[in-house]
Amino acid sequence: MARYFGIDKIGKLFSYIQQNGGIRNTLWKMYRMDEGKAGTLIGTDKYGNKYYEDPTQFYGRNRWVEYVEHRNLEYDGSQIPAEWFGWMHYKTDLPPHRDGNRKHYKWMADHSENLSGTTDSYMPYSTTRPKVEAWDPKKSTAQ
Amino acid sequence: MLRNAIVSSCSLLSKNNSQILKSIGVFGVNNQQKREQKTMPVVGKDSVENLPGSAFGWKQSNWADWTVARLDDVLNWGRKGSLWPLTFGLACCAVEMMHIAAPRYDMDRYGVVFRASPRQADVIIVAGTLTNKMAPALRKVYDQMPEPRWVISMGSCANGGGYYHYSYSVVRGCDRIIPVDIYVPGCPPTAEALLYGILQLQKKVKRMKTLQMWYRK
Repeated sequence: MARYFGIDKIGKLFSYIQQNGGIRNTLWKMYRMDEGKAGTLIGTDKYGNKYYEDPTQFYGRNRWVEYVEHRNLEYDGSQIPAEWFGWMHYKTDLPPHRDGNRKHYKWMADHSENLSGTTDSYMPYSTTRPKVEAWDPKKSTAQ
Repeated sequence: MLRNAIVSSCSLLSKNNSQILKSIGVFGVNNQQKREQKTMPVVGKDSVENLPGSAFGWKQSNWADWTVARLDDVLNWGRKGSLWPLTFGLACCAVEMMHIAAPRYDMDRYGVVFRASPRQADVIIVAGTLTNKMAPALRKVYDQMPEPRWVISMGSCANGGGYYHYSYSVVRGCDRIIPVDIYVPGCPPTAEALLYGILQLQKKVKRMKTLQMWYRK
């Protein structure tokens, strides 16, 4: 009955606040990621991002990542490394530290985040002569 | 690697300026730098990432600069929190553009709401193949948008012609008509990819130096 009317959500709110460690931490979390929910910690990647799951949430919202603290508000989806990408996107239910079939080769490149907008971003340039010559209004038209 | 070949020339300039510089082109800049195999930037205590909120940092040289930077922060916060895109769906990408408006991706949580009128829109999402016949319409619609305005080019057709690159009737990329801020790759890009593009645009808006440039002049 309580569930039907949604009264159990109040208890859930309190359990979230408790799991987050107080109202202050919950508010900080809501400021940082617009959500105050708490779940079970599934794992941590090598950058310190924490991956959570809460099966009571609906599909699509039941797995989430909390980016490492020092990134503050500058986090980005591309900071999730490839190992965790599959778990985050429901390609697999096995997180990388529990999946023994993942290949680890020496030649595998390290993960890199999206560098667009930074000084490290990739910018291609052409080494060939352009096929189209732009019109220069300052140049006289007379030969 | 190419991506590091241009760093040194840009390091003197501010972030915004280097963006413009790079979009113009990188001619004659070959100061080679070694690519380091670190993936995440090393975060010091005073780096921008460690400070809350501001893209400009908190260490301006005098109080006037500091104040202008804070005002810019407020302005950018407002702008990035209410990016209203114009619905400019041209082809199948438009279906994915509809998806980000639907509950699953729910662009409204980022303050992104579709606006049917160009005079009240901030950003135009060019979703689909831009044909020669549509190009003047796109330009007219873009010209009607008030400043500041941004453009997201969505899908390979809008980025560079894509599948129809060699067609007689297709513009080879909408950046031949209007200046593009964000290119979203894919054919069509998933709604998730487009949403990521919008988040990238928000990041770009966060770095805008409207008042700081005004003050400097």
